[in-house]
Amino acid sequence: MTNPLQFDEKRRKAITQCSRCGFCRAVCPIFDLTKRPITNARGKMILMKEVMEGKLPVTEGVAQALLRCTTCMNCTTNCPSGVDPQEVIKAARKDMVGMGFDNLFKKMGEVVEKYGNIYGEPERYDWGHKKGTAPHVLFVGCVGTYREEESVEETIRLLDLMKVDFTMIDEVCCSGVMEDVGYKIKEELAQRNIQELQKTSAKTLITTCPYCFRVFKEHPSYKNLGMEVKHITQFLKDFNFGVKTNKKVTYHDPCDLGRHAGIYDEPREIIRKIAPNFVEPRRTRENAMCCGSGGGLRGSFPEDSIEISRNRLSQIIEETGAEILLTECPSCLHNFRNAKLRKQKIEIYNITEFIAQLLQEKEKKEAA
Amino acid sequence: MNIEGYEFPEGLYYDKNHFWARVEGDLVVMGMNDYAQKMAGSIVYVGLPPEGKKLVQGKSFTKIESGKWLGKVFSVISGELVAVNEDLEKKAKLINEDCYGKGWMFKIKPDNMDELKNLMTDPAVMQEWLKTEIAEHGKK
Repeated sequence: MTNPLQFDEKRRKAITQCSRCGFCRAVCPIFDLTKRPITNARGKMILMKEVMEGKLPVTEGVAQALLRCTTCMNCTTNCPSGVDPQEVIKAARKDMVGMGFDNLFKKMGEVVEKYGNIYGEPERYDWGHKKGTAPHVLFVGCVGTYREEESVEETIRLLDLMKVDFTMIDEVCCSGVMEDVGYKIKEELAQRNIQELQKTSAKTLITTCPYCFRVFKEHPSYKNLGMEVKHITQFLKDFNFGVKTNKKVTYHDPCDLGRHAGIYDEPREIIRKIAPNFVEPRRTRENAMCCGSGGGLRGSFPEDSIEISRNRLSQIIEETGAEILLTECPSCLHNFRNAKLRKQKIEIYNITEFIAQLLQEKEKKEAA
Repeated sequence: MNIEGYEFPEGLYYDKNHFWARVEGDLVVMGMNDYAQKMAGSIVYVGLPPEGKKLVQGKSFTKIESGKWLGKVFSVISGELVAVNEDLEKKAKLINEDCYGKGWMFKIKPDNMDELKNLMTDPAVMQEWLKTEIAEHGKK
């Protein structure tokens, strides 16, 4: 297996465009953890240039190096040469799989096909919400359903309290993640989701997961979905919740919602309504550091992924002194909750989950 | 004792949720058994609840997660949680490395030590039970 990867013009241009300045080192969550040059975008671009020029054989080591990327796009945002390394890395991962360098995500693909979710869970938790037709349909995604089901329950409760007429489906994985880890979306699953979603006659698809949001919105397999796709923060931004907290609250921008989808303001509009004592972390919005869960890193290197999350969480606590950390991404939420140390008193929630809890506290006070 | 290729040290009590119990003075220490840790794969997270939490025998009280699996932790005895293994916060795979030693999980002050009688100690009984588990869940 010594054939070089196939580099199209776009990729060739990106690789040669990298001036190797190393600005990406300061924002790469994996370099931040390992301090190894190969782990940041600069290192990977040099590696691929060597491969492109035939100076370096394509080996298992190259394949492994390319898997160490959360595709968070922080390097892209901070690249003075205008390179988007994660696109190059994702394309190279596909090439390597094509050359026979299967990675552990091959197994995940089989599991997704068999069980309809990335974890191979045989049973899907059902919150007992109504199915059938409604103006809006809520799509939860794998991480929410199988790892943060209690948080999802609160989100559902909030939508009910806000009197949103919505339905749910027996969803399967949107499977877009396969594209990031060297494989292709599972067309059968995409078609199944489309059929189930269309049966609801909904006009709006609300997603809690920013990654699912991107897949439904951008992937060609979902182009005939026939309904508006909204992330839940977009959907809820104009609602009045009637509750407030005096606690010091901060917000972590999920990479898939922020840098990938450009949604920065809507979550903040919601938070400002409920938390007058809102404080931004120093590295925020386009410059927010990644929680470490994306790009397949949580699946392939879970310990590193959690350690990255621990770094980000410590950063947020030091920079803000907040009592409450909000985000709106099941993967970020799950990674942060796994990473939090007992001595860290900060509480971590999805925004929707937190509001539902505030409403519950209000109800209890009123009943007392 | 070795049952079906898995270590189950003598002198411990075992429940059917794959956790073990060991008496230490007036406390009960609990952890995960060898079969379960091998089946789970590399463990990356264990929820460590605050001390003082009331536990009920056979009821779940926290979560445990490997790269590919999420499970519940069930208490081996009713009582009060008095200590957690804080080493697991940053190195949950101690459970894989030494599930009966450094990978211990929780210490409980039991309401009634007699509840240990509900757990298994007889090798013959355990072998029968583990065979059934392997038939259902496989083996690693």
